[in-house]
Amino acid sequence: MTKAEYNISELDVNAPPWRYNPSSWRQRIPICLLAGIAFLIASYMALYQWRLIGDVWDPVFGEQSRQVLDSDVSEQMRRWFRIPDSALGALAYLGDLVFGLAGSTRRWQYRPWLVLLFGLDVIPLGIVSAVLVVMQGTVVGAWCFLCIVTAVISLLLVALAYDEVWSTLLYLKRVWAKTRKSNVVWNVFWGRASRDANEVALVA
Amino acid sequence: MWARVVEVMLGCWLAVSPFIFRHSAEDRALWVNDLLSATVVIVLALVSFWPPLRFAHIANLAVALWLIAFGFWASPYPTPPALQNNVVAGLLLLMFAIVPNEANRPPRPWRDFKHSNRIN
Repeated sequence: MTKAEYNISELDVNAPPWRYNPSSWRQRIPICLLAGIAFLIASYMALYQWRLIGDVWDPVFGEQSRQVLDSDVSEQMRRWFRIPDSALGALAYLGDLVFGLAGSTRRWQYRPWLVLLFGLDVIPLGIVSAVLVVMQGTVVGAWCFLCIVTAVISLLLVALAYDEVWSTLLYLKRVWAKTRKSNVVWNVFWGRASRDANEVALVA
Repeated sequence: MWARVVEVMLGCWLAVSPFIFRHSAEDRALWVNDLLSATVVIVLALVSFWPPLRFAHIANLAVALWLIAFGFWASPYPTPPALQNNVVAGLLLLMFAIVPNEANRPPRPWRDFKHSNRIN
């Protein structure tokens, strides 16, 4: 313990506008677990797209999964990103996991940049994932069971994660409303301490 | 410091990549890129443990961007596996290099703020 150590009760406070702490481990661990599952599924599909395995498991749509993973849409994405789209998806889910684990249980106040980075990874990813699944049906004309599973997980992650991101945005807005100084908001965003920010942090 | 440990592991992966992806002896650029990036990544991750250089890991973001760019432009499409490996390693490094050292404690300025408030 260093001289300036926090204890847990000081960190675990309710973040306005919620009556709970969206940065608590109880809130974050389920997100990390779900992201971890999606990471494994997407990695498995990436192994197929890299042809490190010869087939992909699909209990519902059978060989349609392979049509989706080998489709023109998928090939176009590979041309853009140089790596298979499911590998990119796997990295994005891993990002959700890593950014979900980083930060204290009061990170919505102390590390806004990290929470917003986490939100940027979770929320647009969820939307992209859902759009890609819709494109399977409309453009490719085939469905891929595991892709649908990961898309559902993506949307669940959005539902689980948005509260923390919202707390952070409202907190930054309160800091701006109190100080009207963009440099203060900038410093608070990057996790520098501020007396003004601390005063408005818990005021709903 | 868990992110720094992962960076060291990624560095080790880059260091063995030439042997896994079997770069030929003529592909000097691939050898130099993998081994040099590996060394820089590991050194920057390790020196981040020394307090005066605790932000050294931020420089790994530049290495990450370099690896991604190299994977994109060192060869025409379709990208060979060795370069796809660089893109993936770069994206992974980008993710971990941004994680702070003592990631699960409040950042240092807020810890100091708390401390000074207790004394006053």
